[in-house]
Amino acid sequence: MNSQVVLTALGQVSGTVFWMFVGFMLIEVSIWAVGNKVLKNKNTLVAMLVTPAFVGLGLLLVFPLIYEVVLAFSNMNLYHFRNPEFSLLNGLDNFKRVFTKPVLQSTTFVPVLLRTFLWTSQVFIHASFGMLLAMLLNRPGLKFKNVYRAILILPWAMPQVISALTWRSEFNFEYGFPNILLNRIGLPGIQWKADAVWNFIAMVLTNVWLGIPFMMVISLGGLQSISAEFYEAADMDGASGWTKFQNITLPLMKPVLAPSVMLGIIWTFNNFNIPYFINEMKLESSEILVTALFRAAFNFSQYGFSAAFALIIFALLFSMTLVYVKWTGALKGVTD
Amino acid sequence: MKKVLVALLVLASVAAPLIAGGQQGGESDGPVTISLWTKEGESDGALQWVQSLAADFTAQHENITIEVLNKEVEALREDFQTAALAGTAPDLLWSVSDHAGPFTTAGLIQPVDDFIDTSKYVESVVMNGSTWAVPIASGNHLMLMANKKYVSELPKTTDEFIALAKSLTKGDMYGLAYNLGEAFWLAPWLGGFNGSVFAEDGVTPTLDTPAMLNTLKFLRSLKFDHGVTPVESDYAVADTLFKEGKAAMLINGDWSIGGYKEALGDDLLIGRLPKVSATGKYPAPYTSGVYFFIPADLPAEKESAVKMFIEYVTSEEVQSEMLANLSRLPGLKAALSSPLIENDPLMKGSVAQMEVGTPMPTVLEMRAVWDAINPELSAVMAGSETPEEAVKKMQEAAVNGIANLK
Repeated sequence: MNSQVVLTALGQVSGTVFWMFVGFMLIEVSIWAVGNKVLKNKNTLVAMLVTPAFVGLGLLLVFPLIYEVVLAFSNMNLYHFRNPEFSLLNGLDNFKRVFTKPVLQSTTFVPVLLRTFLWTSQVFIHASFGMLLAMLLNRPGLKFKNVYRAILILPWAMPQVISALTWRSEFNFEYGFPNILLNRIGLPGIQWKADAVWNFIAMVLTNVWLGIPFMMVISLGGLQSISAEFYEAADMDGASGWTKFQNITLPLMKPVLAPSVMLGIIWTFNNFNIPYFINEMKLESSEILVTALFRAAFNFSQYGFSAAFALIIFALLFSMTLVYVKWTGALKGVTD
Repeated sequence: MKKVLVALLVLASVAAPLIAGGQQGGESDGPVTISLWTKEGESDGALQWVQSLAADFTAQHENITIEVLNKEVEALREDFQTAALAGTAPDLLWSVSDHAGPFTTAGLIQPVDDFIDTSKYVESVVMNGSTWAVPIASGNHLMLMANKKYVSELPKTTDEFIALAKSLTKGDMYGLAYNLGEAFWLAPWLGGFNGSVFAEDGVTPTLDTPAMLNTLKFLRSLKFDHGVTPVESDYAVADTLFKEGKAAMLINGDWSIGGYKEALGDDLLIGRLPKVSATGKYPAPYTSGVYFFIPADLPAEKESAVKMFIEYVTSEEVQSEMLANLSRLPGLKAALSSPLIENDPLMKGSVAQMEVGTPMPTVLEMRAVWDAINPELSAVMAGSETPEEAVKKMQEAAVNGIANLK
C-alpha cells in the first residue's frame, strides 16, 4: 500500500466525517442551549453525552428496521425496482408466499426451518466440549496452562470470514487435508462441496471448531469463580467426581452457562459466514434461514418478499429467546 | 465551554464551503472523478491492464481521474443494484453481458445509442430496440485447450476425445479438467446435443428435454464411466491442474488464454470443442463479451468524460493492445482484421470456436435458469442424483424461479 492510496482514501471519507462532526456539534449546541439556558435543567450534560449514541443507533438500527417493515408491504423486485408499490395486499401476498411457495428455487420454508434447528442444535456440542476443555484447563497444578489456553482460543480470535474461507479450501477434494488424511488411512475421499449431506457436515464441523473456544472461555471464567471450599467439603463427605460435578459445578455454573448458551443459540441460528462460504456450490440443501434469506434478496432480487421473510425469522428468534429466558432465568441478574 | 462551542461552530461554518467545493468539483471543465467498477481480476493481468489504461487516460486528460475498483462478477451485479438504489452507483461498469437482463429490467442502465456509433462495433446487447452496452471484447466463449506435451492434435469428435483423454489419464495425471459443477461449462454440450435452455420465445425454459438428458449423461460418463476428469473440480482446481501440467486437456474461456500462454508457452494448443459423435454437431459455447454499461443515474457533468474514456478503451490502438497482451478478441470491428489474429494459431483457434458459438441469452429469466441448472448439475456430478431426476428438478426450479422474479 502506498501513501497515495491512503491519502485518496482519507480524502474520500473526510467530507462525510466532517459533516457528521458538524451535525453532532449542532445537535449538542442546541441541546445545551435549550436544556441549560431555557429549561435550566441539571441533567443537560447527561442528555448531551447520550445523544450521539442515540442518534447513531437510530440511524443504523431503528431506521433500517422500520424500512424493513415498510418494504415487507411492497412488491419490490427487479421489475418494480425504482418505484415499488406499497399496499396491505402486497404485504399479505409476501407473508403468504413464505409459507406456500418455494423460498428459493425449489426449497420451501419448513425444510429450511427444520434444517436451521438441526444446525442450531450443535450449540450443545459447543457447550459440552467447551466445558470439558475448561475443566481440563482448570485442573490445579496444570503446567503451561496459559499456552494451552492461548492455542485453544485461536479459532475464536481469527476473523470468521478468514477461517471460513480457509476451511473451504481444506474441504477441496484433491488438496484438502481431511481427504488427504482419509486417503492415507485407505479410505476414499469425501465430496465435501458437491454432496448434500457431507456439505452440511462440513458446515457443522467448521462451526464447532469456531464455537468451542467461546464456550470454553466463558466456562473457564465460571469455574474459576467457584470457591474451592465446596469441593473440599464434598471431599470430606466422600463425594465422587461425578457427584461433585452434578451437585456443585453444574448448579453454580448455571448463571454463567445459561446466558452464554442463549447467545450461542442466537449466533448459530443467525450465523451467516459459515453456511454461506462453506456452501460453495450454492446447494439449496445446505441453506439455513439466514443464507436462504440472503439469496432470496440478493441473488433473486426479491426485496419485498425477503423483507417479509426476514420479519418472520425475527419473530421466530424473538419468541424462542423469550421462552428460553423465562425457562432458564438467563437474564435474572440483569432484571433484579 | 461556551467559548469552545462557539469557536467550533464558527470554524465549521467557515470550512464547510471549502470542503463542499472540494467534494463535488462538478463543473464540466473542472476536475472530474469517474468511478469505474470492473469484473477483471488480477490473475490474468487484466485488472493491471485496466489500471494502466486508467492511469494513461488520466495522464492525457489532467482533469479526469478514473478510479478503478475490481469486483467479482456476481458481487459487481449485486453491489451495483444496491448502490443504485442507495444513490451511490459508480459512473461506469465494465462487465459481462448477462448483467444486461437484470439491469435493464430494473432500469439501472441507459441505452448507449447516443454515446457511440454502434455500427463500428461487433454485435452488442440489443433489447427493446436499443443498444445497452459498448463491446470491449467479444467472445468470452469456452474452447478446448491442450498441452502439446501430451496432445499433438486436438480430437475431432467426442469418441476420439474420450479415447484420447482415457489414454492420457494415469497416476496423478488427468486427461481432461474443467469446472464440473458450473452450468456455463454444460451449455456448449447442450448445444452439441441439439438443445437450448429456452424455447423459441426466448423466455420459456426447456430443460426437461432429451437433449439436456443426453448432455448430463455425457458429462456424467466422462467422470464416472471413463474416469478422465478429477473427482471434484472447480474453476481453480482445473486451472491449477492445467498450469501444472497435470491435466492434458482443459475447457476454459478466452479470458484465460493470456495466463496459459505465460504458463505453458509454446506448448499451448487451442481449438474447437470436438463434434458430438451422436449428433454430428459442434458444441455451441455461449458467446458474449465484455462490455461497458452506463448507469442510468450518471450525472450530466460526467457524461463527456465517460464518453471519452469509452472511446479511448475502444480505440483501435488500445483494442489491438488488448489482443496482443490479453489475447482477447476486440469489440471494435476494425481491430478484428488485425494480422495478430491471422498469424496467431491460438487466436485462430479461438475465432474458430466462436464461429460455432451461440449468443448467450441476456434476458432476466436466464438468471433463474443458471440457478436451476447449477445445483442439479452438481448433484449429478457428485453421483447423488440421476440425470433423469435432475432434468425434472431443474425444469421445475427454473419455472419456479422465473415465477418468483415477477
